[in-house]
Amino acid sequence: MTLKLAKEKWPGRVLEMVIGQDPWAVIAGGDNTLPFHHFEGEMANRPVAALEIWDVEPTDWPEAIKAQFEGVLDNPVAWAKKCEDYGADMVCLKTASANPEGRNASPLEVAATVRAVAEAVRVPLIITGCGVEEKDVQTLQAVGEAISGYNALLGCATANNYQAITEACMLHGHNLIATSPLDINLAKQLNILISELDLPLNRIAMDPLVGALGYGLEYAYSIIERSRLGALGGDKMLSAPIICFVGQETWKTREARTEQKEEWGAQTRRAILWETVTAASLALAGGSIFVLRHPETLKQFNEHILALMKPNSY
Amino acid sequence: MPKLHVHIYPENKHVTIDRNENLLQAITRAGILLDASCGGQGTCGGCKVRIREGQASPVSSGMLSDDEKKQGFVLACQCVPKSSLVVDIPLESKLAEQRVVLLDGSEGDEVEFLIDDPNFTDEECSVPMYNRITLEVPQPTLGDTEDDLGRLLRTIRRETGIEFLQPTLDVLKILPEVLRKSGWRVTVSLAEGLGLQPVEINRVEPGPAADKHLGLAVDVGTTTVAAMLVDLNNGRTLAVKGTYNRQAVYGDDVISRIISVGEHPDRLGDLQKAVIDTINNLIEELCGREKIEPADIRAAACSGNTTMVHLLLGLNPANIRLEPYIPVANNIPAIRASDVGLKIHPGAWVQSIPGVSGYVGGDITSGILVSGMAQADELTLFIDIGTNGEMVLGNKDWLVACACSAGPAFEGGGIRHGMRAMQGAIEKVRISRDGSEVSYATVGGAPPAGICGSGLIDCISWLYKAGVIDRSGSFLKEAGTPRVRDNGEGIEFVLAWSGEVGICKDITISEIEIKNIIRSKAAVYAGIRSMLKSIDLKVEAIDRVVIAGGFGRYINIVEAVSIGLFPDIPLEKYTYVGNSSLKGARMGLLSRQARRQLEEIAKKTTYLELSEGNIFMEEFISALFIPHTDIGLFPSVQ
Repeated sequence: MTLKLAKEKWPGRVLEMVIGQDPWAVIAGGDNTLPFHHFEGEMANRPVAALEIWDVEPTDWPEAIKAQFEGVLDNPVAWAKKCEDYGADMVCLKTASANPEGRNASPLEVAATVRAVAEAVRVPLIITGCGVEEKDVQTLQAVGEAISGYNALLGCATANNYQAITEACMLHGHNLIATSPLDINLAKQLNILISELDLPLNRIAMDPLVGALGYGLEYAYSIIERSRLGALGGDKMLSAPIICFVGQETWKTREARTEQKEEWGAQTRRAILWETVTAASLALAGGSIFVLRHPETLKQFNEHILALMKPNSY
Repeated sequence: MPKLHVHIYPENKHVTIDRNENLLQAITRAGILLDASCGGQGTCGGCKVRIREGQASPVSSGMLSDDEKKQGFVLACQCVPKSSLVVDIPLESKLAEQRVVLLDGSEGDEVEFLIDDPNFTDEECSVPMYNRITLEVPQPTLGDTEDDLGRLLRTIRRETGIEFLQPTLDVLKILPEVLRKSGWRVTVSLAEGLGLQPVEINRVEPGPAADKHLGLAVDVGTTTVAAMLVDLNNGRTLAVKGTYNRQAVYGDDVISRIISVGEHPDRLGDLQKAVIDTINNLIEELCGREKIEPADIRAAACSGNTTMVHLLLGLNPANIRLEPYIPVANNIPAIRASDVGLKIHPGAWVQSIPGVSGYVGGDITSGILVSGMAQADELTLFIDIGTNGEMVLGNKDWLVACACSAGPAFEGGGIRHGMRAMQGAIEKVRISRDGSEVSYATVGGAPPAGICGSGLIDCISWLYKAGVIDRSGSFLKEAGTPRVRDNGEGIEFVLAWSGEVGICKDITISEIEIKNIIRSKAAVYAGIRSMLKSIDLKVEAIDRVVIAGGFGRYINIVEAVSIGLFPDIPLEKYTYVGNSSLKGARMGLLSRQARRQLEEIAKKTTYLELSEGNIFMEEFISALFIPHTDIGLFPSVQ
């Protein structure tokens, strides 16, 4: 007598998002089963990973990571190319220079840099604002126009500024990141609000504001898992793929930043492990797009995903 | 120091100021109620008055415009008179034109009526709280030497079956003479409260007595108080009247009043006096109208939320506010009218309708009884929305109740142009597709003075339908109507322009206010869902929804469903019950069976504490949307 495994059949699926242009376009999402349950359904696309760069040299990144990008940290174009060389699926450019409390670069100035990066690399781009809601609206409107037609992923739109950013995405043919603070209902509400402005749901990536290992990872895990279950259960408004900004969360933890601590082991290895474990966990929860910082993390993560993507039909 | 006086126009009233009293307290004592929704904190700007003559130094004059300050306007609550004053009270500061919902949704200020409730059978009113029976007491003989009282008790027990009886000392003093002079035929008056208290032999008279004896039913609401005079002989209602609770000067809601009690050792007494004065005033008016002596009122039943009952009896409600929210008592034995200064017969019993918990009081127990849900097979949802939303779900087998803080928005609180459902309040709103045209109706057809809860609900529903706001209540940028404007503090929508209105300002609603109302509606809906979840039922399982309270009087169910305040179930399942608190008090006054049921209901209702666990919070967040994050819950709305 053979054992027959019970298999779940889901009515819904995660929508497929296409970022960038052929032949370098990246496809995220599209699964109709829980992550890596190849025996139950189809996971058409593996989780994809971007490396994060800034348009201004970051002052608070630890040496452990800066060393990987020596000589290019003040040159976003060169930095982006370096990421491409490291094998990133995408480059995520944070327009930190626009921060009114920092350099306060004008939207046009930022847009020019973004345009230069877009022209220099072949992989698709994720462009994020500096995190100040009003300024991000101006920056992303200018950026959207400057790289019109590149089919980038722009963000982050919140419940307070989604209208103008959504408009910019629709007008210039980009995808949108919708950010909400670790709450499945708020995430769904923002998706509804954005899709009511007529941006198709498969052009929205949900950012639930993840936490790193030891810093609320389990909350993020459970929100992502619930969103995924919602999508598979047929809830269209939760079926957008999920983006996880793992790098920025990991590299501010004490474990990644502390240089000397014998019982913790060497910093670089420790920090990379921290970033990798966080990303891999969230991939198991159901994340589709990962933004990382360290090239070694990228490598480790991709190897891990490759193994997980092997068919496991029973 | 010579006494200071305040002369108040346009009322032309005069009042002497007590030391350290502020102007608001003085004006209140003169019997004029100002809109002091913040409880005299100087933050709501409602108690604006103009000083015509005299000196007063305002502590603070926030909320007043420079123009108003120049004209001599002050906030009465922030002002201690330095000399005698002459003041003008502008119309908008007054809590005027009270509309208190009495029994069937009619308002008390204009309607005087007699009610003979056809549902109220003779059997039910067989044993009122004050019951008179005429008895033949067997005479003592040498072979039957039981004492006078024992003999009377034996007779009463045989006639009524009442086991626990207790005479007053006054009755004992006159008993031998009354028995013997009447030829052993007497009328005894029995005062009866809830089951836990012995029945009192309150009075004994010779022969069959025929004079009038009346009862008083009172709904002690946080905002309004309604009283009803009932003939205890036949259960007939003689008159009903409602008014504002004079405690309003100490704050709008129960929480601010509880806080107020803690601020000063005398304050508990002040609050008790305020509500007793309110009721005494109603008694005076009712008795005057019916040409009745207040001393003929021999019993009173009071129904109110737990805090109101505490304040009525002078009990400290402090712990109701503090976790884990414990009242002094939910089921309080009857007290004597003279103990609290109620101006009816001093020996009359005053019975509070028992409550369930600190936030589900006797008013809700009354509502459960009146709605009939505790006897019905159908699953009923009872909703009473004021500042607190109280909800009960259940049927004859079980009852679950919860309370959520809906905030004052539905009563117009915290909304710049918000007001209660008084004369001139916009209670109905329609907005055209692009948001350019607005039509509205006001209470009493008066020129609009502000907007009340039902108007606010309409407003949100129609602003969304018109594409002016999104589902979260934010204004949409592309709504290109001149009615949407930035007033410097945020975006707002103009409902009525000053030109078309009887007053000199635009009536508006801002984005922040819209979000406040959405929070209020979310709290109510989340409460309903939490109750359903706690017993694992779906919204569709509800057979009947009963809406109670003043706010429910004007509410348009279709709009309330479309913003997600009430569950989306067929309209015919909704009924409005009027002032079920007053009705319940009346039933308790008139019927022993009703009193037993009220006690039974209070005892068997399970209180669901929403602050425990995270179900409510999660439901709340998902309800912060028009109509709801799970749009599938509102199939008729999409």
